[in-house]
Amino acid sequence: MTVTREELAAYADGELDPERRVEVEATVKADPALAAEIERHRRLKDRLASHFAPILEQSVPDRLAAVVAESSGARVIDLAQARQRRTPSAALRRWGPWLAGPALAASLALALLWQAPGGAPSDRATGALAAALDTQLAGDAPIGAPRILLSFRDRAGAYCRAYRRGDEAGLACRDGGSWRIRRRLGAGADAPSEYRQAGSGEAAIFAAAQNMAAGPALTPAEEAAARARDWTR
Amino acid sequence: MAALLPRLRRFGAGLTGNLADADDLCQTTLERALANRHRWQEGTRLDSWMYRIMRNVWIDEARARSRRGQTFVAEEAGLAVGADGGQEARVELADVDRALARLPGEQREAVILVMVEGYAYKEAAEIVGCPVGTLNSRLVRGRDALLALLGEAP
Repeated sequence: MTVTREELAAYADGELDPERRVEVEATVKADPALAAEIERHRRLKDRLASHFAPILEQSVPDRLAAVVAESSGARVIDLAQARQRRTPSAALRRWGPWLAGPALAASLALALLWQAPGGAPSDRATGALAAALDTQLAGDAPIGAPRILLSFRDRAGAYCRAYRRGDEAGLACRDGGSWRIRRRLGAGADAPSEYRQAGSGEAAIFAAAQNMAAGPALTPAEEAAARARDWTR
Repeated sequence: MAALLPRLRRFGAGLTGNLADADDLCQTTLERALANRHRWQEGTRLDSWMYRIMRNVWIDEARARSRRGQTFVAEEAGLAVGADGGQEARVELADVDRALARLPGEQREAVILVMVEGYAYKEAAEIVGCPVGTLNSRLVRGRDALLALLGEAP
């Protein structure tokens, strides 16, 4: 079977339909040259992403923040806030080093948190996400894997973990031996196509985590201990 | 909109090749978005809408520069807009910026939208206003050119 270069790129980007994906996967497995090609694609993606990533951490020039602030009806931020945007509020500071990102305050005001309809999300984490939730410590993600942002216990004592996977940020809590996704913001295929912002997803998830948590986020030692007990209460 | 600013700056830097031009592009984009804000449909993605405005502004400016016969060289010649703004840039032009600047604009935006901004092909195609298949092939051509320029070709 021949695989075009376009299909190969689409495969590497997770863009093929499921049927074709299986076929291409089989072909790639049997052909080291194709596998190397996909590896090069992914390496380039990583290189480009990390090249531009620092811009997200920089504070936005005042003149740009001012354009937004001065527009009537868009008084989400003012200049003073724009200058202080690197300083989260006292309540957020409690969540310590996990909170980063220059537009935090503004994104909290703008981001919408999506919850599954009916108020009873029933999604269970599976695959790579479940593996990351089971085994990964916060801030310790291999490239390309879902990233655990922080861990905490909810008021019922269950362990919960905030994660980011590509464009999606979410909260999953341990429930009966697996992870139930309690909140999700972003690009899940099943998510409604309402207004969402990939860049601000984490801030909204942190805010949700704060509301659910019984105390501060787990320290790395507490997290490791919880993992050793397989996240049982 | 304020929350999108860091991402818009990143997209602008990808398109223009340096932060000084990116900030100018951001400013024009914000002004145009605010002036047209009644056109944004509630329930659709604000980020895609803003990105679409930004790439349109970028293309308009590239055309204007081309008409004025300034430093802009036709894409076929392998040099694109913004390739020579390096002196004022706050961030020194790196290999990646130089390589991106050599891509034709339509390949550059496809590469940036998918590989940096993380859009799905369909979303990126909607921002650019082209069919998904076209976006896919521009992405592949741009990627292959980048790999060659960055010395990562086989």
